[in-house]
Amino acid sequence: MLFWILIAFLTGAAALTVLVPASRARKAREREVMSADEAVYREQLSAIDSELDRGLIDAEAAKAARTEVGRRLLAAHDRQGSAAEAEVGQGRVKFVQAIAVVALPLLAVGIYLVLGSPDLPDAPLAARMNAPADEQSVDVLVARVERHLSENPQDGQGWAVVAPVYLSLERPQDAAAAYANAIRLLGPRADWYADMGEALTVSERGLVTAAAQGAFEKALDLDADAVKPRFFLAIALAQEGKTGEAIAAWNRLLEGADENAAWVQAARRQLAELETPRAASQAQPGPTRDQVEASQEMSPEDRQAMISDMVGRLADRLASDGGTAMEWTRLIRAYMVMGDREKAENALVEAMDEYADKPGDLSLIKDAANELGLSGS
Amino acid sequence: MTRKQRRLTLIGTAGVVLAVALSLILVVLRDNLVFFQSPTEITEKAIPPGQRIRLGGLVEEGSVIWTDNAEVSFKVTDTANTVAVTYKGILPDLFREGQGVVTEGVIGPNGVFVADSVLAKHDENYMPKEVAEALKAQGHWQGENAAAN
Amino acid sequence: MLVEFGHFALVLAFALTLVQCFVPLWGGLTSDERLMAVAPPVSVLTFVLVLLSFAVLTAAYLNSDFSVLNVIENSHSAKPLLYKFTGVWGNHEGSMLLWVLILVFFGALVGLFGGNLPKDLRAVTLSVQGWVSAGFLLFLLATSNPFARVTNPPLEGGDLNPILQDIGLAIHPPLLYVGYVGFSITFSFAIAALILGRLDAAWARWVRPWTLLAWCFLTLGIAMGSYWAYYELGWGGWWFWDPVENASFMPWLAGTALLHSAIVMEKREALKVWTVLLAIFTFSLSLLGTFLVRSGVLTSVHAFATDPARGVFILALLCFFIGGSLTLYAWRAPMLKQGGLFAPISREGGLVLNNLFLTAACAAVFVGTLYPLVLDATTGEKISVGAPFFNLTFGPLMVPLLLAVPFGPVLSWKRGDLLAALQRLYAALGLAIVMVIFTFWLWGMQKVLAPLGVGLAVWVMAGAISEIITRVRVFDVGVKRGFARLTGLPGSAWGTALAHFGIGLTVLGIVTASAFQEERVQTMRPGDTISLVGYDVTFDGAAPRRGPNYTEEVGHFTIRQGGTIVTELDPSKRVYTARQMPTTEAAIHTTGFSQLYLSLGESRGDGAVDVRVYFKPLITLIWIGCIIMSIGAVCSMADRRLRIGAPKPAAKSKAAGALPAE
Repeated sequence: MLFWILIAFLTGAAALTVLVPASRARKAREREVMSADEAVYREQLSAIDSELDRGLIDAEAAKAARTEVGRRLLAAHDRQGSAAEAEVGQGRVKFVQAIAVVALPLLAVGIYLVLGSPDLPDAPLAARMNAPADEQSVDVLVARVERHLSENPQDGQGWAVVAPVYLSLERPQDAAAAYANAIRLLGPRADWYADMGEALTVSERGLVTAAAQGAFEKALDLDADAVKPRFFLAIALAQEGKTGEAIAAWNRLLEGADENAAWVQAARRQLAELETPRAASQAQPGPTRDQVEASQEMSPEDRQAMISDMVGRLADRLASDGGTAMEWTRLIRAYMVMGDREKAENALVEAMDEYADKPGDLSLIKDAANELGLSGS
Repeated sequence: MTRKQRRLTLIGTAGVVLAVALSLILVVLRDNLVFFQSPTEITEKAIPPGQRIRLGGLVEEGSVIWTDNAEVSFKVTDTANTVAVTYKGILPDLFREGQGVVTEGVIGPNGVFVADSVLAKHDENYMPKEVAEALKAQGHWQGENAAAN
Repeated sequence: MLVEFGHFALVLAFALTLVQCFVPLWGGLTSDERLMAVAPPVSVLTFVLVLLSFAVLTAAYLNSDFSVLNVIENSHSAKPLLYKFTGVWGNHEGSMLLWVLILVFFGALVGLFGGNLPKDLRAVTLSVQGWVSAGFLLFLLATSNPFARVTNPPLEGGDLNPILQDIGLAIHPPLLYVGYVGFSITFSFAIAALILGRLDAAWARWVRPWTLLAWCFLTLGIAMGSYWAYYELGWGGWWFWDPVENASFMPWLAGTALLHSAIVMEKREALKVWTVLLAIFTFSLSLLGTFLVRSGVLTSVHAFATDPARGVFILALLCFFIGGSLTLYAWRAPMLKQGGLFAPISREGGLVLNNLFLTAACAAVFVGTLYPLVLDATTGEKISVGAPFFNLTFGPLMVPLLLAVPFGPVLSWKRGDLLAALQRLYAALGLAIVMVIFTFWLWGMQKVLAPLGVGLAVWVMAGAISEIITRVRVFDVGVKRGFARLTGLPGSAWGTALAHFGIGLTVLGIVTASAFQEERVQTMRPGDTISLVGYDVTFDGAAPRRGPNYTEEVGHFTIRQGGTIVTELDPSKRVYTARQMPTTEAAIHTTGFSQLYLSLGESRGDGAVDVRVYFKPLITLIWIGCIIMSIGAVCSMADRRLRIGAPKPAAKSKAAGALPAE
C-alpha cells in the first residue's frame, strides 16, 4: 500500500510540475528576445568601463571594444522591430493540462505495469541472512551457516549442524568434510563417524570405500552396538565378495532387532539376495543405490521411479531447448548413476556438440566425462 | 583585400589543407591494412613472407612450448589446418590452450608465423569475432549465442 | 519495494521527458510563454527522478539484492564495498543509466541557471535535450532495463569483471560520460538556434562555457582511461588506437575545434554557422562513440554485453539524431546571419587553421576506426587498421597545428601581424632550438625525429609561457607591478596559456616515452638480475597471497641503483575466484616524471617466471599535461569578463609589447 501511495505522490508531483507553470506564466511573451541581446551587450559595455578603471585594459583598447559592442548593440536594436507578435490561444493550455492530468499518469503507470513487478519484495542479502529461520529456504540457511563457518572455521558445533543438512541436500562430499571438521574440533563421536561413513558411501554412489570403512570401524570402536556402521560394514563385505562373512554379519545384526525398525526390511532383503544363487552378480562392487537409500528410509522403487522421471524430464528439456554445461554434466552423471552407460555416452556426444565452440564449457563437460570413466572423444 | 578575396583565401587554404589530409589518409590507409586470415586461408593462399597479417584461431591443445627467455611457440588451428607461431614477450592473461587467440605479425621464410602481438579474449565469454567466424567457416560452430552471452 | 520504486521513477522520468519533448517546443514555435514555462521545472524533476532510480540501483548493489538481475550478473557479496558501488556502472545497463543521469543533469542545469537566456531559446533547447533524454530512456527501458527482477533470488552473484575491479573504474566512466554527454547541451543549443532561425548574443555566450565544461571532463576521462589501461593491462602501453579509445578521442578532437571556433563566435560573432555544425558533429561523434562501445559492434572490455536488439536500437537513435540534425542544418543554416570579417593573418585566421587541422585529424581517426567495420558489413572482408595508420596520419596533421599554437594567442583580432607575433616568440623559438640540439647531444643522431619532437613540445610550452610574460610586460613595468598584472590577468588568458602548456607537456611525454623507452623481457629465476638504464632489477622470489575475492602470486623485486636499494616492487598475477579469471597487476616505481614498470608473465615452474621491465622516461607528463589542460579549461570557465574581440587599433600595431585588446 505504501508503495502505491509513494507512486501516486511521485506521479502527482510530475503532473504538478507541468500544470503549475503552464497556468501561472503570462500568456504572451513580451519583446524580451531582442532585449536579452541588448542586455548582454549593455553588460559588456559596463564591463569595459570597470576594466578600464582597474587598469586591465588601456584607453585605446577600451575605445575599440566600446565601438565594437556599440555596433552590435545598434544592430540588435534594429532587429527588434521585426519581433513577432505572440498569438494567444486558450486551447493550447487546456490541452497541456489534459496531458499532465490524464496522459502522463496513464502512460507512466501503464508502462510500469508492463515492465515492473510491483509485488516482488526487495531481497537484500543481509536481511535474507538474518530473517527468522522458519521463514527461510534451506539454501539460505545453509549459506548463512557457510558464511558463519568461513569466518569461524573453528566452530565445531556449526560443522556438526550443517553436516546432516549437506547430506539431505545431496552434497555428500561436503557432508563428509563437515563431519571430519566436527570430529577434529569437538572430539570423536560414534554417530558422527557413522554419518561420515554414510556420507562417504553416498558420495561414491553406494560403494563403501576404504575411507568409509575406516569411519564405520571408528564408530564401532566407540559404540559397539551401533546399527548403522554394522549395516554398512555388512554391505562392504558383500561388495568385497566375502559373501559368507557378509551373511554372518547380517545375521548378527538382525539378531534381536526390533522388527519394526526401518532398516530391518532392507537388511533382510540384502540377506535374502546374498543367500540366493543370483547373489554372485550382486556381490560385485558397484552401484548399490537401493542399499543406501533403504538406510535413508525411502522406498527404493519410489526413489528409482522418481529419479528416472526427473532424469527423463531433464533429457527432454536439454534435447529441445539446450541447457548449460552444468546441466549436461548432471544428465550424463545421472545416466551413469542409473547404470545406463549407453545413454550417458549419447548425452556426452550431444553435449560436446552443443559446446564445441565454447572451450571453457567443453572442458567442464570433458572433465566430468573423464571422472565418470567415459571417453571424451 | 576585399571581402571576396578574404573569403576566397580562407576557402582556398581550407581546401588545400583538407585535400592534403585526405590524400594522406588514403595513401597511408592503403599501405596499412592488415588482413585477417584463418590458418586454412594461410595454407591455401600462399601469402608472401613479410606481409603483415592477423592470424586467428584456437590455440591447439598441447602445442604451447616455452623456450627460454620469455619466448613461446604454439600452434593456431581452425580445426582444419594449423599454423605454427613463435612469439617473444608476455602473453595476455587469458591466453590458454584450446582458447581463441588473434596474433599479428609476418610469416617467416620457414613458414613459421612470427607474431609481435598476441591478443586473447578479454573475459571468459568473449571469443574474438574473427575467430568465431573462421571457425564457423570450418563448420565447427553451432550456437549463435556463444559469443552473445 | 524500494527496487520497484526506483523502477517506477525511471518510467515516470521517461513519460515526463515526452512532455518535455513536445510542450516547450510547441510553446517556442507559437511564442506561447505558458508552454515554454513548463520546460525548466520538468527538466529539474526529470533529473530528480532519474537520480532516485540511480540511488535505488546503487542501494541494491550495496545491499547485494540478488532479486535484481543486474546485481546478480555483476556483483558478489564478497566484493569490496568500493567495487560494489562502482560496479553499478561497470555493466551495460548501469552505465547507460549513468549516461542518462548525466544527460538529464545537464538539462536540469539549463533549467535552473538559464534564467538570463531568452525564454524561447531556453524552452526549445530543453525540448531538444528532452528528445535526446527520451530516446535514451526508451533505450534503457526497452532493451537494457537495469531493474529487471527474478522471483527466486540466488544467494550469490556472478561478480564484476576483474579488470573492472579497480579504482580507475570508479573515476574513468563518470568523467568520460560527463564529457560525452556535456556536448549534448551545445548540441541542443545548436538545434534550438536552427529551429528558431536565430543566433542570439546570449547563444554565443552560453555555448563556450558548456563546451569548456564538457571538454574539461572528457580530457580528464580520456587521460584516466589511458592511465588505467597502462597499469591495469600490464602491457605498458598507454594508447592503443583501439576503436573504443578512438570513440572517445573523436569527440575530443571535434570538441577542441568547437572550443576554439566558439571563441571566434563569442568575441567576433564570426564563424557562427560553422560553430553550429561543429556542435552537431561533436555530439554526433559522442553518440557514435556510445554506439560503437555499447552495441557490441566492437568486442572489447567495454562491450559488457552484446545483444543485436541493443545495437539496432542505438543505431536507430544515432540515425535519427545525426540525420535529423544535419537535415535541419542543411535547411535552416543559410538563414543564419553571417558575422564579422577578418584577414587571413589574424587571430580568427589562426583559430580557423586550428579547426582545419583538428577536423582533418578527426577525419583520419574516423576513417581508421570505421573503415574496417564498414568493409566487414559490406563485403565481409576482415581487416584491421593498426597503430601505424594512425601514427602516420594523425602525427603529420598535428605537427603544423602544434607549430601554429604559440602564434594564435599573440596575433590580434581581425588583422594581425605575423612578423610582430614572431618577434614576441623569439625566446620560445630559441629555447626550442636549444632543446633540439641538447637532445641530439644526449641521444646521438640515431633517432632524428625524437629530438625534433622534443623541440616542438618545448616550442609549444615556451610559447605559452612567453604569452603570459608579454601580457604582464614584466620587462617594461618591473617585477612588482608585473606581479600585480599577473594576478590581474583574466582567467581566459590563464586558461589559454595553461591549456597550451599542457598540450606541450603531453607531447613531450609522448615523444620521450615512445622514442627513448627501454624494455627487457626475460625469464628470471630467484636471484637473477636485469640491468636497465642504471637500474638493477633483482628477482627475489614469488609467493602466493590471498585477497578478499582473489588469490595472487606475488613476485618480489628489489631495485638497486649503483648498489643502493631504490625501492622494492611487487607485481603480481591474480586469479579472481568467482570467475576464475586471471589479471596482471603491474608494479610501478616513479622517479621524477619517469617510471620503471614491472609486470609478470607466465610462471615456468621451478620458481622461474617471465618478467617484463620497462623504463619509460617522462611518461607521467602525458597525463600531467592532460590535467593541466583541464585546469586551463576551469580557469577559462571562471572568467566572467566580457568576451568581445575588438581589433587592435592599426596605429599601435607596431609598438612592441602592445596587447591585443580583448
